[in-house]
Amino acid sequence: MRKRLAHLSVAVAILVLVLALVNPEVTWATHEIVVGLQCDRTGPVQTIGVFLCPGFHDYVKLVNKKGGVEGHKIRVIEIDHKYEVPLGVEAYERFKQQGAVSVSLYGTPNVYALTPRLTEDKIPGTSPGFGRADATDGTRFPYVFPIAASYWSQATASVKYILDHSKGKKGLKIAFLYYDNPAGREPLPIFEKLAKREGFELRTFAVPPPGIEMSAQILDIAQRFKPDWVITHLFGRSPSVSMKELRRVGFPMDHVIGFVWGAAEADAEAAGWSTAEGYLGIQFAGVGSDFPILKEIAKMYRDEGKDPPREMNSTVYYNRGVLIAALHTEAIRQAIKRFGLPVTGEKVKKGFESIKGFTLEGLVPPLEITPNDHEGGGWVRIYQIKGGKWAPMTDWFKAYGDVIQEALKEAAAKGS
Amino acid sequence: MDFFLQLLVNGLMVGALYALVALGFVLIYKATDAINFAQGELVMIGGFIVAVLLGSYGFPLVVAVAGTIVAMIVLAFGVERMILRPLIGRPVIAVIMATIGLASILKGIGPLLFRAETKNVPLPIPDAPLFVSGLLISPIQIVAVAISLIFLALFGSFFLRSRIGIAMRAVADSQQVAMAMGISVERYFALAWAMAGIVSAIGGIIWGNLLGVDVHLSLVGLKVFPVVILGGLDSILGAVVGGLIVGGVESVAAGYIDPYVGGGTKDFIPYLLMIVILMIRPYGLFGKEIIERV
Amino acid sequence: MINRECGVLKTSYEADMALYPIPLARSTVLGIAIIVFLPFPVLANDYLLSVANLVNIAILGALGLNILTGYTGQVSLGHGAFMSVGAYTAAILATRYHLPFWLALAAGGVMAAAVGSFFGIPSLRIKGLYLAIATLAGQFIIEWSLNHITWISGGIQSSIYVPRPALGGYVINTQRGMYYLILIVVSLGIVAAMNLFRTRVGRAFVAIRDHDVAAEIIGINIFRYKLLSFAISSFYAGVTGVLYTYYLGIANYEQFTIVTSVNFLAMIIIGGLGSILGSIFGAAFITLLPILLRYVVEGIGGLFFTISDVAGVLTNLQLILFGGLIIFFLIVEPDGLKKLWRNITDYFRVWPFPY
Repeated sequence: MRKRLAHLSVAVAILVLVLALVNPEVTWATHEIVVGLQCDRTGPVQTIGVFLCPGFHDYVKLVNKKGGVEGHKIRVIEIDHKYEVPLGVEAYERFKQQGAVSVSLYGTPNVYALTPRLTEDKIPGTSPGFGRADATDGTRFPYVFPIAASYWSQATASVKYILDHSKGKKGLKIAFLYYDNPAGREPLPIFEKLAKREGFELRTFAVPPPGIEMSAQILDIAQRFKPDWVITHLFGRSPSVSMKELRRVGFPMDHVIGFVWGAAEADAEAAGWSTAEGYLGIQFAGVGSDFPILKEIAKMYRDEGKDPPREMNSTVYYNRGVLIAALHTEAIRQAIKRFGLPVTGEKVKKGFESIKGFTLEGLVPPLEITPNDHEGGGWVRIYQIKGGKWAPMTDWFKAYGDVIQEALKEAAAKGS
Repeated sequence: MDFFLQLLVNGLMVGALYALVALGFVLIYKATDAINFAQGELVMIGGFIVAVLLGSYGFPLVVAVAGTIVAMIVLAFGVERMILRPLIGRPVIAVIMATIGLASILKGIGPLLFRAETKNVPLPIPDAPLFVSGLLISPIQIVAVAISLIFLALFGSFFLRSRIGIAMRAVADSQQVAMAMGISVERYFALAWAMAGIVSAIGGIIWGNLLGVDVHLSLVGLKVFPVVILGGLDSILGAVVGGLIVGGVESVAAGYIDPYVGGGTKDFIPYLLMIVILMIRPYGLFGKEIIERV
Repeated sequence: MINRECGVLKTSYEADMALYPIPLARSTVLGIAIIVFLPFPVLANDYLLSVANLVNIAILGALGLNILTGYTGQVSLGHGAFMSVGAYTAAILATRYHLPFWLALAAGGVMAAAVGSFFGIPSLRIKGLYLAIATLAGQFIIEWSLNHITWISGGIQSSIYVPRPALGGYVINTQRGMYYLILIVVSLGIVAAMNLFRTRVGRAFVAIRDHDVAAEIIGINIFRYKLLSFAISSFYAGVTGVLYTYYLGIANYEQFTIVTSVNFLAMIIIGGLGSILGSIFGAAFITLLPILLRYVVEGIGGLFFTISDVAGVLTNLQLILFGGLIIFFLIVEPDGLKKLWRNITDYFRVWPFPY
């Protein structure tokens, strides 16, 4: 019995190897343009990936249906790396092997690990709304594109919003509640600069991973520091925990601003919409289904005789997926238009750097990506939870460009 | 001083929530001698089931809770039958590894069967906090404390007094001797897993209400290690006391040490405390000491 | 490795204790060494080489953990953290003090060994699963320190970029170059580990694992040897961390979390505790399984659906298969892949005349 099982397992192992080697994907047609998509549908941030990645695929599918980019079809290779760096590196190498001309990265540790490689291999990678903020500086990081507001821009925007809404109040106090990892600490220097410049009192509170328990920090905020505003920068399940705890200690929810990864339908759902009522969130892509491009995608599904996917209801993450795909496609389009075929990573990089006035009627902010500014300006919009949905509070705006420039210069001088 | 008291009380309440998860862990260790790395995932599945029963099917709370408990018992029996029974008599480390594999399976099954999106578990417990002599306490925490104490009493007397409980202790002590005495090891393994299933179901309902249900719910499993080691791996009282200590220390550390060192002390202060206690009492506060003879 | 023992007659104790007691084994090892050093790296493309590099690095880490857990019997859940100690040590030395690669490599190992033996001190009193969790404390304390002490982490991002490794003025910047570099370090590690267990120290480790009280009675200073085992194991971990750092070009503590520690434990349990070959099998298995599963699931799923439609199902299916395969192998062979391998070779040992 034991021996037979042993034989069986060896047979299975051999079968697995054979299947792996005859994998149909290995042979690829040359006229296709390949885009690599790192994605987490499993692992610690899967609740984002399951909505974001379908958005990416659906947009590309729509573009291909309409004849592709300048007549060329795009093929997306999706690889789930479970937020683990070795698997992320393996995924990247596979993209490269299959001739990817741009890569959509996923997860801050991965962006850090892949930054040197992208530059060496001359393949542009995007890290919308996460990753390293100083990658905005295209001269230092030529192949990394934050393409949406970095954590630094989110910090300046949140402070701008607060100052606009507190009418020159003296002795303004702001608490910053953040997830205690590098991504969470990224905006700290910007807040410190702004506190000095605008003269508000800032205190920071760290939530250690996994961030499922923060009652002590919230008590500290509400009972000792007693701030006017709370800015939160949390990931995973912790945004909803912060909503619940802040509500419990009686902090006014309309004086809480969440960064981009704590501002989705799922966060309000987990905390309960009535608990979250009033909570403010920063967005780098439009929220809601009221965009022509989304209607087109829905129509594409109906034409196939299918219902639009459920993922479309989670508009915050789905729309971000559409935004990322749209910017990749637009960069490739620019690359073909200006430099012709064959499409290469270098050309797509220049394509990214010529994106301007590409808004998809409001879903994408009025970005202007240049060789110096890979962030495209750092535009955000602030939304508020009102009656069971996210409602816009402001138009697209950006703030304190000079503070960010100063920080970029300091980062460049420090090297690393 | 008021603030200190508030932190302490709050921490103790949170500790009771940790204890709830730790109990399932201890039950399995007590009967099968294995560290269960899938405890957090079991809680997650419990949360998923109750969220789906309440949300998608709209069952009343009582039915949903009962359904969750039954489903978790069935799952626990299944796990025991498919995974642990073939491993009876094998090295403990193989069983531990099997629970790591089980954790991976459950992490895949949860989102696959119940969809990955975050769900909530609405319980008829008010969110608004109570004020007990100036201290802020939320009702859900009181419920958690009550349930932990009930479980403590139930399982405590079960292991001390009932015939089945004594048999289970015998199995944990030595599977071979237990078998020789005519005790069905399989049966008591199944029973231990079923009890852990019940505890996980309750843990899933309460933690699901606090956090919302998705795969992150399994992270509560990480919190139990210092709790169970502090209290002693095989002590039910230890799980509860360990939970309270860890919760209290964490909370006070976060309030008083964090501002000086830049945060995050909650992460390792419980572990530091655990090492110190282990150096004095190597089997935890209430753990059974193993006397070694050559 | 079909080891036919026919005609092998040992005439001295030395022959019995030789590294390869059978001449045929020596030639198979030599054969494998030639294949991994010559045809493979020349023929393989960058992608295959990148996967091979990940496997090779994992082998070194698994070996280290196996020395501690498999041979000395001290279960550790802090292996990932010891790797990060090596990684940051090397990164700091390479960037701030401009030390060459090989010095940084050694220093990373030594520093990890020092930290590792410090966290081994509780093993004086704590045993078994309690010790496992005590090492988990080491994992969290080290993680916290790297994350918060800015002198170590180099700023809020807690990550340090390192230059490409250079040996004697030659900069290694291709996958193939890295492959050779890693392979040489890993081979040294394997040979050193094989020889370790032919010495007094190695035998003392095994004695402690088999029965610590008995070992003490026959004159083995348990505490000293346990610490030594922690040190050697952490040295391996540190070197692994340095290799990861140079391979990726960055030291970042988020690559060395509790998940990493558990993964390495999984490698040695699946591969086989207390076995060099087991460490190699386990490291390859756990590293390659998710990658191969992805190919298989995509290959099969892609026949019927477009990948984007079923991606949500496929990825979860991978997790289930991963867990399922681990459990399957444990049930088939709780002593790990090395035992499975031995069963197969034993079968051929006397083939075709089994009686």
